[in-house]
Amino acid sequence: MHYHRPQNINILQELLQDTNREYTILAGGTDLMVEMRQKPLPAEAHILDISRVTEISSIKEENNQFILGALVTHQQLAESIAIQKYAPLLAVACRQVGSLQIRNRGTIGGNITNASPCADTVPPLIVLNAEVEILGPQGTRTAAIEDFFDKPYFPRIKPNEVVTRIRFKKLVPHQKSAFFKLGRRKALAISRINMAAILQVDENNIIKEVRLAPGSVFPAWKRVHEAEQFLTGKTANENNFNEAGRITSEEMIKISGRRWSTPYKEPVTAALVRRTLMLALEQE
Amino acid sequence: MNIIGKREKRVDALGKVTGAAKYADDYNLTHQLYGAVKYAEFPHAEILSVDISEAQKLPGVEAVMRAADVPGNNCFGLGGDIRILADDRTRYLGDVVAIVAAESKAIAQKAAELIHVEYRELPAVFDPEEALLPEAPQIHTNGNEIVHHKLRRGNIAKGFSEADFIIERDFTTQPIEHSYIEPEAALAEPDEQDGIKVIGSMQNFYTSHKVLAGALNLPLSKVQILQSTLGGSFGGKDESATMVAARAALLAQKTGRPVKMLNNREDSVRQSYKRHAYKLHYKWGCKGDGRIAAMEIKIIADGGAYTSMSPFVTWRSVVQAAGPYHCENIKTDVYAAFTNNNFTGAMRGFGSPQVNFAIESMMDELAERTARSPLEIRLLNGFETGSVTASGQKLKHKVSLKQVLKEAAKKSGFEEKWNVNREMEKDDGIPDDGKRNVRRGVGLSCAYRGVALGAEGVDAASAVVYVQPDGSLSIASGIIDMGQGAQTAMSQITAEVLGVSMERIRFLQPDTGRVADSGPTVASRGTIMGGGAVKIAAENIRFILEKTAREWFALNDEKLIFKEEQIFVESQTEGLKQLTEFDVLVAKCYAKGRPLFASGVRHIAETWWDEETGQGDAYFTYVYGANVAEVEVDMDTGKVDVVRFWSAHDVGRAINKGMVEGQIFGGVAMGMGYGLLEEFIQENGVAKTVNFDEYYIPTALDMPEMEALIIENPDEKGPFGAKSIGEPALEMAAPAIANAIFNATGKQIYNLPANLEEVLLGRKLRRNTPRASVSCKIGPVKYM
Repeated sequence: MHYHRPQNINILQELLQDTNREYTILAGGTDLMVEMRQKPLPAEAHILDISRVTEISSIKEENNQFILGALVTHQQLAESIAIQKYAPLLAVACRQVGSLQIRNRGTIGGNITNASPCADTVPPLIVLNAEVEILGPQGTRTAAIEDFFDKPYFPRIKPNEVVTRIRFKKLVPHQKSAFFKLGRRKALAISRINMAAILQVDENNIIKEVRLAPGSVFPAWKRVHEAEQFLTGKTANENNFNEAGRITSEEMIKISGRRWSTPYKEPVTAALVRRTLMLALEQE
Repeated sequence: MNIIGKREKRVDALGKVTGAAKYADDYNLTHQLYGAVKYAEFPHAEILSVDISEAQKLPGVEAVMRAADVPGNNCFGLGGDIRILADDRTRYLGDVVAIVAAESKAIAQKAAELIHVEYRELPAVFDPEEALLPEAPQIHTNGNEIVHHKLRRGNIAKGFSEADFIIERDFTTQPIEHSYIEPEAALAEPDEQDGIKVIGSMQNFYTSHKVLAGALNLPLSKVQILQSTLGGSFGGKDESATMVAARAALLAQKTGRPVKMLNNREDSVRQSYKRHAYKLHYKWGCKGDGRIAAMEIKIIADGGAYTSMSPFVTWRSVVQAAGPYHCENIKTDVYAAFTNNNFTGAMRGFGSPQVNFAIESMMDELAERTARSPLEIRLLNGFETGSVTASGQKLKHKVSLKQVLKEAAKKSGFEEKWNVNREMEKDDGIPDDGKRNVRRGVGLSCAYRGVALGAEGVDAASAVVYVQPDGSLSIASGIIDMGQGAQTAMSQITAEVLGVSMERIRFLQPDTGRVADSGPTVASRGTIMGGGAVKIAAENIRFILEKTAREWFALNDEKLIFKEEQIFVESQTEGLKQLTEFDVLVAKCYAKGRPLFASGVRHIAETWWDEETGQGDAYFTYVYGANVAEVEVDMDTGKVDVVRFWSAHDVGRAINKGMVEGQIFGGVAMGMGYGLLEEFIQENGVAKTVNFDEYYIPTALDMPEMEALIIENPDEKGPFGAKSIGEPALEMAAPAIANAIFNATGKQIYNLPANLEEVLLGRKLRRNTPRASVSCKIGPVKYM
């Protein structure tokens, strides 16, 4: 097994230029170390430990944007005053990931690249219209987060590419947001369903814009445009949110068919849409 | 009393908090080899051949063993059917066909993969009810029925004819994992005289001792077992841990070198036995006034691949299946059946958590049907001193069922909360405010429990107390500490008898050569039996001390008091007068040629049982407890939060109040896991929940605010009146939670655990895997 630990982004890029290698990326190790215990890597594997690339380990604010280094941990995001203020749903999502130990190790870059269907940062990043910056042998490219995944566990990333940054616009005061996670217990729980929403209403309580993204509902992450279209221009109230929930569940069944989990997911997805939108509406 | 009841520091605390405590895997020897196992590849198959030639050739491999290479008995356990190494067949996927010892764990693992087994697949069965059908595949030679316990009391036909209405319900409970944090491990070492010494993580090391001696074909005296500090057990480190120790010992004997055998979590889950899944059918004939005229109960337990403790676990169920309630006419049948699932055996509760869930759910339905509160219905039907149990046993001790019920209800404000929630539950069902759609509920449960082994076996335990010449003490006991605090309890009892401080006492490592076979540390018998034995041993020492003191101070029959490291004489004229100090009296004894070394044996034999009718004095005494759970149910998602919990127990006497509370809090946590979260899932014999990322136990954050209500009615059978708390603490928590959900939602829970789907939909959801039934084969299965 080969192990590489670049000290800065330039060395990282040099390493990526060796296209004969298939890198396995190590950042916080919360997924990789567990997988390696279950199935050891082959002798010819190349581990690329990016944890010392300090250029991508902090939360930066530029004008009205956040630029998150891929190595920013869940705990950093949960504790960041700026994130709490300008992207509170992401702070809420990060606070509920795993346990403190996992939040201290696990990175946002890892969370999206591992692309587990229950990844808690993905729905918030989708409604935040985040862009992913990817470093490869030829330099960087960017992708909209919603286009970053084929399906869970399959991010659209090549073997010698690394996610380096995630950027999104700060929310402005009239953009309310919420994240809700349904797990089987209060910590160390894999999300059964999670839900992120951003909601903007005018002075008459009419919805100007709404973005809604559930997790573990569709085969691949996406916004629920059908529900969003229904809500836009309507009054923000419980009845309309209930209808948006019903539309979301209907959409789920349209895409995936009725499956073993549908009897539970159909009513609960609908209820969580209503709940998340209510939480957003009443956000302080 | 000076020390009994006090919150003394645990004798094992320092080692555990500093990391000095040595668990099984902390022991290593130079030149030790590492073991690995070759697992069964089918849940049910005939083994045609086991080719070990390639494995043997691998450099670094020192021994490969199959069943045929075991010099002594390969089979063990209550039914004599558990295989150390699978011989004729594999019966579940945790069976081990061959074992390897090699210079490193990696080599051993590699060698295990090079073992080739030729099988003939057999049809398998995974449902205990199906297993009892005549056409079911036969897992052993004498049919799939492991046991059928009967209890017949009165005449149920007459009882049902007198009933005003019938309540008839089916309940299911799930298999669960013990979740001891330390997986099984053992280090076996050949000794200087052809014997074998094993140090390991075993709960019942006397049982392990006999199994190992039998397998190694050695006399008991040539096998020594030392028990390392246990990282939890909960009834789980009996046969499963014995298998691991036996495999290490066999390889050590074969190679002449020390061998370490260590399970990782997946190994542990794959090999080990679980708590029995039960299917319970309860039919009660009830009177309009809330009394019960007849009970007909049928229970089928999944015993899995081997007999293990199924006969005893289900025996406790048959004794306690009717609960602590008056009923003249009872017919109970409890069956356990072999299947090709993981075998099932002892786990904290031992046949009571399953029946308590059914009984206490029935009781709440009876309350509902007769318009009484859950407290009223229990007080109406509950046992009192002098009541006669389902097995015809007259309860002569103080029966405190109503006392614990009232205490739990009073402290929790049960009646008022129950009424308020019940009115709320009849509400319109419209969400509270859209964000939160939560209903509150409180639930009550109670239970009685036979203390110790009862009529299932000989109940005797031994201990040795040694006061050394300088006045320091060592204690050895056949009852072991697996984290529950037995050593501390026994030390407090000794300190009380001899009037010394706890600091003087050192508890010795359990060793099969040190104290006579004391049976297993199970059935909540640690304090009552082990504590009883150590009390007798300490009293034997005190006898020598008193005799010496009387001679020395020319006393006759004046009362001597031992306390605060001193000896006093009590006289009517002068009151309490100090005679001497403990150390000085000890020195005097040794100077007179009277060593202070004594053993004690506690034996209680006041039980009997008739298998045909299920009548008899099942246990020599009983304990009583009541729980109240307060929950919040998310009506949108089925998520249940337990917010508060009250647990009242009559423990006879609390030897250490802090430890009793510890047992109660731990029991509530475990009972809550059973009630809401935990489920060992197998699909066609394949374990799906092999580690804690998928097998959910409650975390610290999930725990409610808990209140332990300790009630003391000293029992003449126990040391200083002490009885039990280990299993009572757990066994009625789940039904309290289930009844609280009923109070909140108006819907009863019939299947454990009450997880999201069960609460919202009233059933479990499963992936649609093709089900292997009696007629279909299963492909090879590989883990990970």
